[in-house]
Amino acid sequence: MTGVRDRNESAWLLPAGPGLNHRLREDMRAFNDGDEVDAVIVGCGAGGATMLQRLARAGWSAVALDAGPFWDPETDWVSDEAGSHHLYWTEPRVIGGDDPVPLGSNNSGRGVGGSMVHYAGYTPRFHPSDFRMHSQDGVGADWPIDYTDLKPYYADIEGELPVSGEDWPWGDPHSYPQRPHPVSGNGDMFLRGALACGITAKVGPVAISNGRFGNRPHCIYRGFCLQGCKVNAKASPLITHVPDALARGGEVRADSMVTGIEVDERTGRATGVRYNRRGREHFQRARMVIVAGYSIETPRLLLNSASHRFPDGLCNDFDQVGRYLMVQGAPQTAGRFDAEVRMFKAPPPEVSTEQFYETDPAKPYKRGFSVQTVSPLPITWAEHVAAQGHWGDGLRQYMSDYVHWSCLGALCDFLPQPHNRVILSEEKDRFGLPIAHFNYSQCDNDKALMRAAQSVMEDILHGAGADEVITIDRYAHLVGGARMASGEQDGVVDANCRSFAVPNLYITDGSVLPTQGSANPALTIMAVAARAADRLIQGSAHD
Amino acid sequence: MSGGTRGRLPLNEANGGGRFPGFDVVGQSKHWDDVTTSVVLARLGMPPDIRFFSAAEEATASALCDQLLGQRQEPRVPVVNMIDARLAENQTDGWHYEGMAPDRQAWRDSLAGLNQDARQSGHVFAQTPWPGQSAILQAVLDLGSHQWHGMNASRVWSLWTRYACTAFYSHPWAWEEIGFAGPAYPRGYKNPGVDKLEPFEVADAKPDQDPLRRGES
Repeated sequence: MTGVRDRNESAWLLPAGPGLNHRLREDMRAFNDGDEVDAVIVGCGAGGATMLQRLARAGWSAVALDAGPFWDPETDWVSDEAGSHHLYWTEPRVIGGDDPVPLGSNNSGRGVGGSMVHYAGYTPRFHPSDFRMHSQDGVGADWPIDYTDLKPYYADIEGELPVSGEDWPWGDPHSYPQRPHPVSGNGDMFLRGALACGITAKVGPVAISNGRFGNRPHCIYRGFCLQGCKVNAKASPLITHVPDALARGGEVRADSMVTGIEVDERTGRATGVRYNRRGREHFQRARMVIVAGYSIETPRLLLNSASHRFPDGLCNDFDQVGRYLMVQGAPQTAGRFDAEVRMFKAPPPEVSTEQFYETDPAKPYKRGFSVQTVSPLPITWAEHVAAQGHWGDGLRQYMSDYVHWSCLGALCDFLPQPHNRVILSEEKDRFGLPIAHFNYSQCDNDKALMRAAQSVMEDILHGAGADEVITIDRYAHLVGGARMASGEQDGVVDANCRSFAVPNLYITDGSVLPTQGSANPALTIMAVAARAADRLIQGSAHD
Repeated sequence: MSGGTRGRLPLNEANGGGRFPGFDVVGQSKHWDDVTTSVVLARLGMPPDIRFFSAAEEATASALCDQLLGQRQEPRVPVVNMIDARLAENQTDGWHYEGMAPDRQAWRDSLAGLNQDARQSGHVFAQTPWPGQSAILQAVLDLGSHQWHGMNASRVWSLWTRYACTAFYSHPWAWEEIGFAGPAYPRGYKNPGVDKLEPFEVADAKPDQDPLRRGES
């Protein structure tokens, strides 16, 4: 077994302390549009950056285009909630369905590092049952791969981020490369409440370095993980995979919005991507196109890349593009204590339980949920309080009580459904392209999970001594929309992330996931991308 | 600038005022990084000029935001200027509901709706006495997801409160009111944990001011 540094030197390429290695960017290889690169990657987040790093290490000429900026955490990010609005994808989108899902700050990042720049940092593995949900529980779908196919990639990525946490008893039991972090007031309340209720809760798993890792410093527990980690303690591809990719000859081309994928009508093969940079149209030629724009923009790009051969959108012969998009039901329940919790004084991700993750035959619903600490900062907390119907004097009064509240969040395993999908809107963006219209409606099983999760969180908080609990219903994460399947009539890509319709077109982001479990998706997205890269490099997936 | 008394927002004790006596957020700004400091301290300077709202809309929005945030007197957090700046720059949250206009138009439409409601009592919304304004707003909230002037009332309410709360609770004066110390880089926290304070934090002087418990009394 090789050490982390032997396969990914990113943490040792960063400067000691916060900041980026500017030399790496200055010396970065720059391909020409006319060069036929081995691979052009669309999007430089969890899926795209992992792919770029793997391919660059294997000696491929590869460039990742990202619509957003190449962040410098020192100058571009702030330790402030409202001042972090630019971290989110705020180009226009329309939301509909019976239960519309807000996007933007909720689940959509932009720039190099993608949504992992603003994710909390939880990196649980999926459970083995998530890969055979339909066979086992009669709902959702089965993956064309199994947990064991991903297992070595989970371990690799956990080492590269790295992940800290207690020995993990759920799913496939495993341990983590780093010891668990100390817990703050919010984590302490969760642990106290869980103990009182007989629920097992564990510290972790979080991709926040507990101790120095390479040149990356220890976490300073400032609580602004969702605003981008200025410390370089919390993992995002910007610091975990991009540095190594650049050092190995990969290129990251920021501020480049990909607007279409070109396919040669005669050969049926992709030839490259059209993109807009600083107002000018470009075309990057490539031997292979790898899309990693996440669950909204990946389907949108395919649908916007219609052609004579693909009149309803690229890879959409069987009306699968954009479908089976999932969010997790993420109710947040807060409890009030006479003691001061000051939940803002620590990373929001601290403690979780997966005790309710699997289907319980005694319950009227299938699948389950996880419960984790979340620690909203004042603006997000004000939304929580306002959602209870408090306003004016009542809102100010409730808000003045902020330091006394502890807050938990659940992730409910909402099922994949065909009508939950991205389609194109009549509205256009500034490039003249139709924007995404995302419809979402919960099924009865989804609703039952929300109520069950709320009830468990209320029990935990009461168990810890809370005298009042309040809950806000919300959603978290995105996966699906271009899912992996055994056959072309049931999905968009195969088990190796290669599209069924175009032999040199791959999708390696969260949109390929057929189910989501009750786990935060970042680690699984990276593991799926790392596996797809391995297959590509080994040539086993070559046509 | 020392926080102390200057700029402290008026909030009477019954509504949660005076819980963190002497707590001074801005007084800690020497411990913040430069980029964050410039972003946060700009909120204490002259508010941006109104560019998006018409004069009539500004009046309505001011009355609305005063109500939503219980700001009855000066000094106020200049919430309307902050919302106006976002709308002028079209700094949205990155989505809008199907069947509802994008944020800029939805703000104009909903402000017009408030004036229509107020006209039934012979005023525009901004000139309606405080209790009358409160009643109009409570009626919108009580509609839930029913229609209000052709819009889903709860989505209008969410639009208003999202923009208003984002502006208000981005301001250091509001942080002082709730015991939040604001930026924490590069210092971080050394004493997380239940009932643990940093040297610069101030304990709640009225820890039994539980909103629920007082609701019972």
